[in-house]
Amino acid sequence: MTRRKLTILGLGAAAVLALAACAPGAPSGEGDTTQPPVESADPADFAGETLSYVYFTDGPDEQATRDLIAQFEAEYDVTVELEILPYADLVTSVQARLSGGNAPDVVRLTGLTDFRADLLDLAPYLGEDYVEEFLPGPVQAVTGDDGELLAVPSDLTLNGPFINVDLFNEAGVELPDPEDPWTWEEMTAAAQEVQAATGTPYAFAMDKSGHRVSTVLAQYGTQLVSDGEASLDVAAAEEALTPLIDMMAADTMPRDFWLGSGSRYAGANEIFLAQDVPVYLSGNWQVAQFAQAAEFEWAAAPNPCATECGGFPGGKFMAAFSASENPALAAAFIEFMNNTESQEAFVAASSFLPTRADLAEDGVTYPDRQADMDVFLADLVRTPDVTFAANADPAFSGSATALITAMDEVVAGQSDLPTALTGLQGEIEALVAELDS
Amino acid sequence: MTTPAQATTRPAGAPTPAGPRRRRVPLGLRMAPYLFVLPNMIIFGLFTIWPAINGFNISLYESSNGRNFDWVGLDNYRRILTDDEFWEVVRNTVVFALAFVLLCLLIATALAVLLQAQGRGKSFFRAVFFLPVLLSPVVVGLVWNWLLERRGGLVNTILTPFGGGDTGWLVESNLAMISVIVVGVWMNVGFYILILLAGLQGIDPSLYEAARMDGAGAWQQLTSLTLPLLQPSLLVVLVLSTIHGFQAFDFIYTLTGGGPVGATTLIVQYIYENGFVSPIRYGLASAGSVLLFVTVFCLTLVNWFIGRRREAV
Amino acid sequence: MSSDVTESGGGPGGSGRRTWTSVGHRRWTHVDALRVVLLSTVTIVVLVPIVWTVLGSFKTRTELAQVPPTFLPDSWALTNYTDALTRFDFLTYVRNSVIVVIGATLLTLVINSMAAYALAKYNFRGRNALFLLTLATIMIPLQVILIPVYQVVASFGMVNTLWGLIIPAAATPTGVFLLRQYMLTIPDELIEAARVDGSGELRTFVQIVLPLCTPALAVVAIFSVIWRWNDFLWPLVVAQSEDVYTLPVALARFNAQEVVPFNLILAMSVVSMIPVIVLFLFFQRQIAQGIANTGIK
Repeated sequence: MTRRKLTILGLGAAAVLALAACAPGAPSGEGDTTQPPVESADPADFAGETLSYVYFTDGPDEQATRDLIAQFEAEYDVTVELEILPYADLVTSVQARLSGGNAPDVVRLTGLTDFRADLLDLAPYLGEDYVEEFLPGPVQAVTGDDGELLAVPSDLTLNGPFINVDLFNEAGVELPDPEDPWTWEEMTAAAQEVQAATGTPYAFAMDKSGHRVSTVLAQYGTQLVSDGEASLDVAAAEEALTPLIDMMAADTMPRDFWLGSGSRYAGANEIFLAQDVPVYLSGNWQVAQFAQAAEFEWAAAPNPCATECGGFPGGKFMAAFSASENPALAAAFIEFMNNTESQEAFVAASSFLPTRADLAEDGVTYPDRQADMDVFLADLVRTPDVTFAANADPAFSGSATALITAMDEVVAGQSDLPTALTGLQGEIEALVAELDS
Repeated sequence: MTTPAQATTRPAGAPTPAGPRRRRVPLGLRMAPYLFVLPNMIIFGLFTIWPAINGFNISLYESSNGRNFDWVGLDNYRRILTDDEFWEVVRNTVVFALAFVLLCLLIATALAVLLQAQGRGKSFFRAVFFLPVLLSPVVVGLVWNWLLERRGGLVNTILTPFGGGDTGWLVESNLAMISVIVVGVWMNVGFYILILLAGLQGIDPSLYEAARMDGAGAWQQLTSLTLPLLQPSLLVVLVLSTIHGFQAFDFIYTLTGGGPVGATTLIVQYIYENGFVSPIRYGLASAGSVLLFVTVFCLTLVNWFIGRRREAV
Repeated sequence: MSSDVTESGGGPGGSGRRTWTSVGHRRWTHVDALRVVLLSTVTIVVLVPIVWTVLGSFKTRTELAQVPPTFLPDSWALTNYTDALTRFDFLTYVRNSVIVVIGATLLTLVINSMAAYALAKYNFRGRNALFLLTLATIMIPLQVILIPVYQVVASFGMVNTLWGLIIPAAATPTGVFLLRQYMLTIPDELIEAARVDGSGELRTFVQIVLPLCTPALAVVAIFSVIWRWNDFLWPLVVAQSEDVYTLPVALARFNAQEVVPFNLILAMSVVSMIPVIVLFLFFQRQIAQGIANTGIK
């Protein structure tokens, strides 16, 4: 309990706090930061043992993970079996395996909700203070009700827009200033100006995802859920979503793309890559693939401001199952994969943001597109703390799905926005109640 | 039910192997059928029936992960039957299954008869019609999603000269349902054609000679000879397509994701999403499975008995 | 519409007799023409999406996004294929897939035909119940019983083995159903005659019944191959280490969380299509002959 309260209270703007405080006692500086755990794990203890790690990949991170595993195996003289699953089937597969008494040791997840009861408390292995090595924002998501450490945040992502610089230049529209973010009105106006001047089919696109739409909600000062409560401010949400709905009605934001994918997630990255849209709201994970696939000049742009600035956070976690036959090794592996050196290599290769306080302070050197990553890092400082709490809430993913359904109804013309949002608020309340029981 | 003899296309009245022999069957013969079904039934029992019973049991509990269970009795059923979304899903499923079954029966019969009549190139056509059956449903959905895109999709590109270049196939509810049905038929009909071809193969050609001697035209031969004799195979197609229609999921999931706004969400997707997508409602999903199972089972029995009765006539 | 039913009623067994191209027998009538037009139209409807997919698999992402689409790819470079395939041990996955497909298909043919024979040709207590049970199990989609099935497989220690992929799927109810329906058409007299000659039950089944069922067995074999080759959800859950992955499971790894490059997806789809299509085209002659040469009329 106390730990949880502490971390919540301690939530200064995530990165600012990290910069300033860097948690007393937490290691700073470079090099080997492997903390002596409470039950100091001697690599020799594990010699010859085997560990299974269930993983999903976004592409560039895979090789980095394999390299780190090779290091770990050499150092500890163990075998790590890396199993890469398609993201869409990860939860299904792990559920089945848990129920068959055949859990993997370590798993990479985007949220803990479905597995909370099955996760190993890492604190006894890694120490009560271990968590202070990480930024307080992401730590909220991994802290159990009784202060357990249920997972380690292994990378951080931030939602934010990209712009097609070529199209902006062609239209003679000024590029946004990362230091002084544009407003929503300025952004949509610029996007529509570019569309008008260059004749692209769309002005603005975003992924079909409740998580991405939460960015807009957060910028207008409301969250689907926070602190275990339904917290949608219907008026604010209406203000936030009206521009999106209007743009889709005019098809300046791709309406077909939105309706055509049903309840599935759909990324609009192909639309951006095809130069069909000047502004695309997604997140930093796109940087690596745009660097490789885009045949035009592009850049990360600052998140637009409304009542708030900044983006909406996400990220991945590494967790061990309490059913693991070798929890100590699992904990040692998680720790190794998230020490300063490992995490730097991992996030640099995959264009993720670091979760470690020391890396956030010293900065990560990216091999490519450093300037764009800096835009995201700058936005991270502006991101309100409450977004971390919202994203970490057990009811978030269910609420995000309901949000998409509600928007679908409006976009399809089956409902109007206020009605849909009122319904959504009710659904979120029911969901929170269901998860509490 | 009935003796096997009734289901055969042999002239009625032939002796069945059982019946008259029953009194003096040796032990070996009496045991034989049981030994024949045993291996199959062991695997069935272990990997399908037992888990299905288990699933029924789970439908009486609430569980957020399939591991920790709270007894709720019939609460899941009450909840599902009062869920508006469930009834919408049921409606979609019925629409889809009905159209799917009718179209499959019609198209498969027509193509099988045409194929059977075709001389040169018959095996080429047969191979081509079968191709979609070879594809993974997931891939079929992905590919058709791409073909049916409004902007730049192949279908609309082809339709442009005819003024249909801006059709929102996957965006408007009715069109999306039509798309799903068409794709479902596209990928499955080859299967049914093959079954019907095997059936046509078994019809004695001399019957047609006789019919022609009697002056029967093509249409008459089809309606009074081919179709009645094809009935056992048609029954197989009816039963299987009904089942496939009610179970459709994978390709729809990648084609429309059940959208727009749930217009093509069918029952299996509803069950799947409750069972495996956060928030997980495993007991509710199991209750949905039980309801699906009971429905399809009853339908199959109805199909079966109607098919049988017409056969006997 | 079907005036020719008579002519080719004998099927390919009558190889080449009285077809519309045969010289001297018949003229090309308008009915023949109509039929060929119809069949060709359907052929186009079937083939175009597949051809389009193959063409698309050579295009770059940018090219795929063009409106209106290009017909032929700008270049026939195999970049999409090499990009995808060099990332993993393709041969292992193909080998696993082949083992699973062959193993499961053989097992399916053996146990399904045995069960179908009993259900079709014996009158024994519980037969109807077993048949209904078989019908009933066709109706249970895997998605719906995934967790309970997995628990059973896990309790047998078959998780992460190829056995776990082969055995549970082998008792395909559809196979039993198709075979039973077919066996019903075999005259009982044949079996009776064999019994009178003193043939044992198993021998009658193997030597008399099975050869008569070749077309149905061929159909079940094809379907078993297709099903097992395309199986995705079950192998995904059972196979845990890469040396047990089948091709579809390995391919699906490209479905990342947020970034799915469609050009790679298309290339992978084509890769997964090719083996079954080749296999089918290769055996299609045998299958056709199997169907044609049966003594059943």
